[in-house]
Amino acid sequence: MPAVGKDIAHDSARTHVAGVSEFLDDRLPLAGELLAGIVPSPVAHGRLKHLDVSAARNVPGVRALLTADDLSAHNLFGPVVADEMLVVADEAVFLGQPVALVAAETKAGLEAAIRAVVVEMETLPPLLDIDAAIAADSFTGGTSTIERGDVEQGFADADGILEGVLDIGGQEQFYLESQVAIAVPGEQGQMHVHSSTQHPSEVQALVAEALGVPFNHVICTCKRMGGAFGGKETQAAPPAMMAALLAQRTGRPVRFLYNKDDDMRFTGKRHAFKSFYKAGYTRDGRLTALDVRLFSNGGCSTDLSPAVLERALLHTDNTSFLPNLRVTGRICRTNLPSNTAFRGFGGPQGVASTEHILHEVAVATGLDSLEVRRINCYGIDERNVTPYGQVVANNTLPELFDTLRADCNYDGRRTEIDRFNAESRTHLKGMALSGVKFGISFTRRALNQANALVNIYVDGSVMVSTGATEMGQGVNTRIRQVVADALGVSYERVLLGITSTEKNNNTSPTAASSGTDLNGAAARVACLKLRERLAKVAADLLADADAGLTAEFESVVFADGVVYDARRPQMRLSFEDVVKQAYELRISLGERGFYATPGVDFNRATGQGHPFLYFTNGVACCEVLIDRFTGEMSTPRADVLMDLGRCINPGIDRGQTVGGFIQGVGWCTLEQLVYGDDGTLLSYSPTTYKIPNATDVPEVFNVRFLDNPNNTISLHRSKAAGEPPLLLGLSAWLAAKDALRYVHGRRNEPKLHLPATGEAILMNLP
Amino acid sequence: MRDTIDFLINGESASARGDDAWLMLSEFLRKRRGLAGTKVVCAEGDCGSCSVLVGRLEAGKLRYRSVASCIVQVLQLDATHVVTVEGLTPDGGLNAFQEAMVDQHGAQCGFCTPGIVVAMQELMDGGQPLDEHAVRRGLSGNLCRCTGYDAIFRAALKTDVSALPSVEARFPSVEIVDTLAAAAEEPTTIRAAEGTCFKPTTLDEATEFLGSQSDTDTEAVTVLSGGTDLGVVRNKGRFRPTSLMLTGGLAALREVRREGEVLHIGAGVPLSEFEEALASTIPEMTEFLGWFGSPPIRHAGTLAGNLCTASPIGDTAPALCVLGAEVELTSTRGPRMVTVEAFQTGYRTTDRRPDELVTAIRVPLLPPDYHLRLYKVSRRKDLDISTVSGAFRFAVRDGLVVDMRIVLGGVGATVIRMIEVEDRLRGQPATLERFEQAGQLASESVTPMTDVRGSARYRQTLVRNLFLKLWHEIDAGRFAVETSSNPAGGD
Repeated sequence: MPAVGKDIAHDSARTHVAGVSEFLDDRLPLAGELLAGIVPSPVAHGRLKHLDVSAARNVPGVRALLTADDLSAHNLFGPVVADEMLVVADEAVFLGQPVALVAAETKAGLEAAIRAVVVEMETLPPLLDIDAAIAADSFTGGTSTIERGDVEQGFADADGILEGVLDIGGQEQFYLESQVAIAVPGEQGQMHVHSSTQHPSEVQALVAEALGVPFNHVICTCKRMGGAFGGKETQAAPPAMMAALLAQRTGRPVRFLYNKDDDMRFTGKRHAFKSFYKAGYTRDGRLTALDVRLFSNGGCSTDLSPAVLERALLHTDNTSFLPNLRVTGRICRTNLPSNTAFRGFGGPQGVASTEHILHEVAVATGLDSLEVRRINCYGIDERNVTPYGQVVANNTLPELFDTLRADCNYDGRRTEIDRFNAESRTHLKGMALSGVKFGISFTRRALNQANALVNIYVDGSVMVSTGATEMGQGVNTRIRQVVADALGVSYERVLLGITSTEKNNNTSPTAASSGTDLNGAAARVACLKLRERLAKVAADLLADADAGLTAEFESVVFADGVVYDARRPQMRLSFEDVVKQAYELRISLGERGFYATPGVDFNRATGQGHPFLYFTNGVACCEVLIDRFTGEMSTPRADVLMDLGRCINPGIDRGQTVGGFIQGVGWCTLEQLVYGDDGTLLSYSPTTYKIPNATDVPEVFNVRFLDNPNNTISLHRSKAAGEPPLLLGLSAWLAAKDALRYVHGRRNEPKLHLPATGEAILMNLP
Repeated sequence: MRDTIDFLINGESASARGDDAWLMLSEFLRKRRGLAGTKVVCAEGDCGSCSVLVGRLEAGKLRYRSVASCIVQVLQLDATHVVTVEGLTPDGGLNAFQEAMVDQHGAQCGFCTPGIVVAMQELMDGGQPLDEHAVRRGLSGNLCRCTGYDAIFRAALKTDVSALPSVEARFPSVEIVDTLAAAAEEPTTIRAAEGTCFKPTTLDEATEFLGSQSDTDTEAVTVLSGGTDLGVVRNKGRFRPTSLMLTGGLAALREVRREGEVLHIGAGVPLSEFEEALASTIPEMTEFLGWFGSPPIRHAGTLAGNLCTASPIGDTAPALCVLGAEVELTSTRGPRMVTVEAFQTGYRTTDRRPDELVTAIRVPLLPPDYHLRLYKVSRRKDLDISTVSGAFRFAVRDGLVVDMRIVLGGVGATVIRMIEVEDRLRGQPATLERFEQAGQLASESVTPMTDVRGSARYRQTLVRNLFLKLWHEIDAGRFAVETSSNPAGGD
């Protein structure tokens, strides 16, 4: 029985439910371990006038106190561009930027020392939002552009033109386990960093640079994360760097753990965007031209903002064929913690802008928004080339739209909603069916590579190590399934090791939904090499001259833990016996696999290329109910239909779909980042920042997969599931807009920005 | 006098003194006992990752309730039995709900999972089959960022509840009860670097202690009841009292009784019991309390504590105020009564004197033909603080507003009684126009703030709209008066 395709439980599920899965801060302190913390900049923008740490140094139990003077050589860091200062030397550029690092024996000592540091800043006016940054001409990098066709001609051909501005809010990742790292100094300048990170290789590199040692002096390991969602792709590094610097200084293990409030206040989030758009459309709802200018709020440094913006631009089309498009993007440099990766990575913002425009076209033409989405949808054999020149191959979007429309009785329910809204004086209903087409692959070409180490022990058990990090998404489970099938052994015989830079070098972040695609493929490559070697051993064992069977390794089959020659399947060897024989014959039982995604390429200068291996598609229909007096909104029903190719693990894929969708609904309806005028994040804990609760889940919630065997280009014909469902959460926001249509009609269409909170909805009701 | 807190953890005796006893339970479990299954995320009782079950002696039996261990000090656990996720997991196996969670993919990253196992144990402990509504409500105190909850619902619904051992079955209570009862008899004083905590066992000991401390120049004694507010401000470093008195061990404060048309609610009664006590008498209040905090918060928090924090948005204050409830304050001089309306004297200040202890809340029941309507508008329906709350107590007869009392929360420094608006409606026809005018007046007479929960304009709009919402509900027959005929009725 193959393991791939089976609904196997998450490989940590049994320890998760028993509460014995180990997360970093669950570890009892090592001998001599110190606790670390920061003295945060009290202002979002300011100049350091005076810093006095003398009193703090004298607090009992304080073992190290570092300021910028102590690390001036290696103070600048960044994942792509080193333009963020770890410890403020002169100018603080976000509230919470470390001014000093402290390590102490106890929590009380640490807190007392932090309070005892005297920080005087000259407050400078902070730039906080996109409008302010545009006005001040404050940007990171230049303008990115993707262009196709003739936009001006498209406007000339249009029956109508609409123009507007859309505000798209940011989002806190709200992983439950805060950023945490433990640094353990070794011999001769070496450092072992345990980090809750999606990107051990980057933590390794940034720690090494901060310490001033070669990369091979630093090991970064990550067993698991208590959630990440992109927030631990680059931003796990500073805690690890700070712990390592203090460990280097003291020669003792150091633990750095943010509490939830500080984690939310001091680390980056999903970028807020602003879209300035002009669209031309025909009477039947077809977009003839689209001119969009996107601005993202990048925060204080570069971080991943250029890649996030690029993905936003590349997803402006979403499910629609746009014959004439010009989309440009700029990154605003502001005094917020540098905004960063979050599930979707710019895609959701680019898609939100276009889905909003499609809604406005529906209002302007009087059509149902589904008709507008459908008429603009990418075709199968024509109208199937993206604005950046990639063909939408194996396009399932029309099938998805039409299948869900029928399955969820869209048209019948539309009639019911029309009637409900005509009759009710107290409530309003709305409904929207929207789709997603999400490009799978890192847009930075080099990241589309992975290596894996597969070791077979003499008892026939298998240990796999890759660069993939487990954050709950089930990548370890899926890789185990892939390896089990590749070696023809049971799932139980395979284990995934702790992710470590010692075993896998120069790994890519577990991000862009690609964890299984890349690392599973690399592991499979290693397994196939091992299998070929073992097949040769087995062929000799299975050969029988009397029976007319010479050793023929190509006809050796590995399945269900046994090995046989396909020409004589009744004669079987156990996998262990073959392994033992290989060991006796001194044949290597370990192998490294390498995989580089074929064919992906993109020319940033021209905005043209083939950046994605394939697209993951899906559709969702959301129905919302709004209280006309309070603006409060609930979701009586949602239907989701995803094309995930052939699932490696349908149960885990369902979990990714539901979890991503609800996270998207949270972004679109509940979650709001509120800042004070001085840059203080006011919604900095679950008391004030509301992620979806159990009672916010749609009352009727149907989630299904389209059977699609055609994605032959990917591992086991699967499709990546991590990010795309999040973008379907937009259907809740679009449904709220749909509800407002009933009270506003075609004139004075209100602008319901993102998120559609109760307040935003109420203020848009007449 | 005793200087320890004596309790049990997963059936084993535990004792804490000095600084350890001042720790939050979550930290004590994780760092002192190595029970790291209990997680800490928010340290403010708003996520459920730290949930544990706490068994308390009630009439010679243990009753287990989920509690947020991140905002409960070990001090508060004298004579209790703490059961963590480790205690709910059978040796070498999993229980029925845990198995269902594995099968249904109810855990992804695993960080919220132990808290969910605890919450569901509480819900299923009675052995009764559950419906999805009950599961959703039971999970409303547990945030999960990975799963979208759906798989957890399925796990709960697929669990054979009859195959899940109750906490009682896992930890037979006979010996435990004896151990706890012995501990509870003696008062205790805990001295730590951070301060001193006194735990009386009788009301007299409590009032005498408060009396003896109120003359000195030292910091006033902070009375710690459920601690759902104090635990948060302490964790966040906003207020660290150095002198505490615990009321948790005072049986006199746990009484709920009906005296004629008044409900007497002891100051130590947790909100969840208050909720149960009102189900037959003031069901509107029970329903409303269902939206207060979350199950672990309602199990720890008390009505008296909610009033004493004197928050302008305290969820119970508008309701108690509109019902005409009174606060009973007791000192060595005896008890005195003050109305809830007069009790809250300003933003987070009350009429309580330092030597007084709030001993009860007395809630008048609704007269016949009177109705209570309570509104809470918040960003998220569950486990959220009101943006605006409104409480209306009224009687409508033959199309006339016979009586009307209105209290609003979230629109000023305290909850506000709207006397002028009440006068404007009383005796008037219950028409949309009158309610619109009243709402407009109410909206214009408050000056709310703009804050993280909403703008001033939004709050003013909500105030006006609550009057419209109430009118529509009256008009739709929600408050149909059974004792008089309604000629306009008929739908």
